[in-house]
Amino acid sequence: MSWSGRLAVLWPGTTAEDEAGTEPDPRFTFANERTFLAWSRTALALVVAGLAIVQLLPPFPGVPAGRHLLGVPLIVLGAVLAVVAYAEWVRNQRALRRGEPLPRSVMPWILAATIAGMAVISAIVLLIEATR
Amino acid sequence: MTRDPATPAADDDPEERDPGLARERTSLSWTRTAISFGALGGVLLKVNVISGLIILAITPLVWQLGRLSARGASRAAGPNATRLWLITVSIVAVSLIALLVAVFGRAAPGGLRLR
Repeated sequence: MSWSGRLAVLWPGTTAEDEAGTEPDPRFTFANERTFLAWSRTALALVVAGLAIVQLLPPFPGVPAGRHLLGVPLIVLGAVLAVVAYAEWVRNQRALRRGEPLPRSVMPWILAATIAGMAVISAIVLLIEATR
Repeated sequence: MTRDPATPAADDDPEERDPGLARERTSLSWTRTAISFGALGGVLLKVNVISGLIILAITPLVWQLGRLSARGASRAAGPNATRLWLITVSIVAVSLIALLVAVFGRAAPGGLRLR
């Protein structure tokens, strides 16, 4: 899919025009909607975690930017996750209407990379703090 | 339900008997999402009162979106897409508020501790 096509997916009108295929089993529609909502809550949890790290933790001695280093990426990734969740919901709904196989999801990869990245940053911050 | 419960059919899947369960689960999922918004609003309230109040004000709107969804989700994808799109837009907006508060806000270390 081209970049403009990917961006167009993010505008709600484009799915309304997509009347190709037939209305899928309502249970599938509901399941797709629940998946979107579950990812939305995951995104909100990332935002809460990032905010709590920056605002509520005491500063790391020796690493003044440590809290922002951990918190800001979490908040940004929360926003990214919410947008990707919507794009995937649109793609899945389209595939369901047309009876095509569901496209592979990139969300688990994004989440796994986020958690791994945060773990590495946490380890580095703690090591720097310990050596001071 | 007219079927005799003592003689279940071979395809006795609760989903087959009552697709309303899917609707119910989706409705509960919307409730959890609204509660998540409320929780985030509560956390922000501790840090920055105005931002917290903005997000707490979004919470009943999310709740209302969920109730609309439960009524008419079997219609075409159009109206449904707009509802889910609104959720996405609110999460992105909330992330921006959180980012501003995180970068420019006054930190309150130990803010969750009892005084």
